[in-house]
Amino acid sequence: MSPDILEDAMELWFGPQHVSAHGWATKLTLVGDYVVECDPNAGYFHRSAEKVLEYKNFRQGALILERMCMLEAFLAEYPYVAAVEKIAEIEVPERAKVMRTIMMEMSRLHSIQFWWGQFNAELGFFTMALWPWVDREYSLDAFEELTGSRHTVSYSTPGGVKYDFTEKSMKQLNRALDRFEDRLPKFRDMQMGSPTFRARTENIGLYDVKQGLKWGLSGPPMKACGIPMDLRKDDPDPNLAYDMVDWEVPITENPEHPGQSDALDRMEQRFAEAETACEIIKQLIPQIPEGPIIDPKARGKANRLPEGEAYARVEGTRGITTLWLKTQDKAQTAYRAKIRGPCIASYYALKDLVPGSKFADFIVIFGSLDPYPGWWDR
Amino acid sequence: MGFFSVLGDFFQILKHTFRQVFKRPFTYFYPFEDREYPERTRGRHIHVRKSCTACAQCVRICPVVAIRMDKEDKKYEKDCALYFDYTRCVFCGLCVQACKFEALFHTPVVDMSEGDREDLIYGPEKIETLDREPLKWRGRRFR
Amino acid sequence: MLQFDFFAWLAGIPEWIYGIIQWIYGIVSFIFYWVYDLFRWIWATIFLPSNFMFLFRAIIFPGLIFVVMALIWAVWFTRKLWGRIQDRRGPVHLGKYGGLQLFADAIKLIAKETIIPDNARRWMFRFLPGLLLVVVLLPFAFIPWDLEYWFIADLSVSLVLVFAFLTAVPVISLLAGWVSGSKYSLIGGFRAANNQFAAEIPLIISTIGPALLAGSLSLMGIAAAQSSIWFAVLLPINLATFLVAAIASVGIFPFDAPVADSEIIFGWRTEFTGIHFTLTYFAEFAEQMLYSALIVTLFLGGPIGPLTGPLAGPVNFVLKFLITFFFFVLVSSSFQRLRQDQIVHYCWKYLLPLALLNIILIMLAIVYIPGIAALLPLGGG
Repeated sequence: MSPDILEDAMELWFGPQHVSAHGWATKLTLVGDYVVECDPNAGYFHRSAEKVLEYKNFRQGALILERMCMLEAFLAEYPYVAAVEKIAEIEVPERAKVMRTIMMEMSRLHSIQFWWGQFNAELGFFTMALWPWVDREYSLDAFEELTGSRHTVSYSTPGGVKYDFTEKSMKQLNRALDRFEDRLPKFRDMQMGSPTFRARTENIGLYDVKQGLKWGLSGPPMKACGIPMDLRKDDPDPNLAYDMVDWEVPITENPEHPGQSDALDRMEQRFAEAETACEIIKQLIPQIPEGPIIDPKARGKANRLPEGEAYARVEGTRGITTLWLKTQDKAQTAYRAKIRGPCIASYYALKDLVPGSKFADFIVIFGSLDPYPGWWDR
Repeated sequence: MGFFSVLGDFFQILKHTFRQVFKRPFTYFYPFEDREYPERTRGRHIHVRKSCTACAQCVRICPVVAIRMDKEDKKYEKDCALYFDYTRCVFCGLCVQACKFEALFHTPVVDMSEGDREDLIYGPEKIETLDREPLKWRGRRFR
Repeated sequence: MLQFDFFAWLAGIPEWIYGIIQWIYGIVSFIFYWVYDLFRWIWATIFLPSNFMFLFRAIIFPGLIFVVMALIWAVWFTRKLWGRIQDRRGPVHLGKYGGLQLFADAIKLIAKETIIPDNARRWMFRFLPGLLLVVVLLPFAFIPWDLEYWFIADLSVSLVLVFAFLTAVPVISLLAGWVSGSKYSLIGGFRAANNQFAAEIPLIISTIGPALLAGSLSLMGIAAAQSSIWFAVLLPINLATFLVAAIASVGIFPFDAPVADSEIIFGWRTEFTGIHFTLTYFAEFAEQMLYSALIVTLFLGGPIGPLTGPLAGPVNFVLKFLITFFFFVLVSSSFQRLRQDQIVHYCWKYLLPLALLNIILIMLAIVYIPGIAALLPLGGG
């Protein structure tokens, strides 16, 4: 990049008032139609959640976490609950484990359905934006039937879960899964079969495994490169029931560029993720054991925690969500909590990924990595 | 031939959208029609004054300090008056779980918009009564 | 020697008065005849039966008011159909099936404060949206709604003239983007120009086919030439290329790079608010309608159709127009947005050769297949 090219460069702020920049702002330097510099700026969505966690007790804390990312509320609140359980040494009943796993995959499914629509809206295809959102309504209905809330479920609590499955909520859950599986072939036609979609996403935002690891990406953006890195398999949580299911980590391998992923691969990867989530739930539903849903002693234990620190992580929809929690002896609130959302990595990956691509492709690259501003501004 | 398969893809997509035109829409006329809300819906609360013991567990657990209680205002022997601030409430359901005496419940009433912020702070009279049938109250069932 | 002759002067007074009277009479009669002629002229232009019907046609039935009503209908239809395709209902509350929603929207938009940015060139900013709508509405004068009576103007070169008008549209978009004084608007303006650069040549090449077969550059002539066979049968590829190029030229989905709302907020319309936005919004729909009407005229036989009767021509035309517009909306809500360089790429690499190919094929067919030429006004066969 010689300085004479930059002479007629144009600086363009993408956000914070841009319609598709919901709570973020990126400074782009354009030469002609090409982006030569991309400067992601975090901080427009800051809610000081880590500080708030120091003032909330251990039953209230999960509520803050699930507002980090409304789209994967259950997955977001789980690391906090898991960390509290680790410090307080709370045992989780078998039934609660399975129910947590089901809710986790359900959460993943509805989050992917939302992202799917959002990505298509960013690509200017509102038909395909609203069709997955209709299916998502069914998933949300299942949430509502089970927990009473559509987005912020606040379902898990230290020692188990809050609400038991009923016959009706089971029916809603099956209805959501059936609806998803029903419409999947049609969506494949509309999405992967669409020549305009392929034209927009092929070889856009291409990176390989090394670059991804350097940026700290995880989850679907890495699995789309063809490496099966998935916490559900690699580091199985004893409080979750993934070992009861026979499943494979979904990966996408594109023969045209092995070890690399473009926006098309990442869409394919989301398809695979959603299908896997659906399959896991379908396998788990007949295996739900009888028993209590919450450890009766857990409530007392979670009121005052011993001194200790714990590190919990979960494979979220967008990557690995981690939380580090430190408590003092007989603490009612956390001494310090540190959240690391998955999207901070994918957002700052734009800095290296975007330069050299066309301006119109910026939003495609951004959307295909699926960053959610709530995760990088905590 | 790549060209003809791409053409086929175009027609496949057009077929899907064309079929959708003649299908019944998913949405319904919300303010005039409504679906049935599940029993567990975490809507506005109802306070059963008779079984309340003024133990203040709901006030203590509330993460957003939306509940205020007035111990002087007694209707029965050992109850209290609750003031719910719905400008703050996040409908997490912790207060209902904290209540050991079955005195506080959620109702499936979720549309509680008001013209004035002050009206969203529900006083004791408002929080103890429901002006609508809790499960089906407006319009007919549509889906 | 000039002498003042008092009696001669005295004798001249009546003549002088007579002259003044004549002068006044001249003025009065001039004004009278001027007014009289004005009335006669108005009478002749407006109320003389033939002229009255011309004005009626130009202003009311296939003319301005009809087109504006059709525009309002088209906006409603597009929103409703998009709603249906997207699994929702579209406007429902105002009027029957939301038919009056547009009036509510228009009143709201017009009542809004008109914000003009500091960096904008004020007068051009005010002037361009209106000019855009006028430029887009003018070509409707040449649409052959009927071959006999219910049409406005029949020019021998109306096909060329329509495209001459439509070429002004991206120029106005580019200017609008420029004078708005915003980076997003400027990018959008250049993208609009780029769209037209990509789509215009395939568009015009596609119209060569009908013009060639009809042996006429007039839209009326082309419509009249399809009395025995519609050109859609002979030129199906041209129909498809014209449809795609028309969508690209209007700049709606999937060729909506000029107003791509996820990339450049609303393209060259970003800074327009209130009445200015309303005008540009109408202009977009008017352009879609114009292209639908052109498709009906060029390929689907115009007013020639199964119905007969006094108003058969316009009714046939409008029925075909509805179906064409339906496909316009259907295609425009089925695909992802293309990048602006891809628009140029596809339009030039695929649409242009395809349009030419169909013309060459039909020329060969006329020469080698007997009977085809007899269907056309070329004669022979």
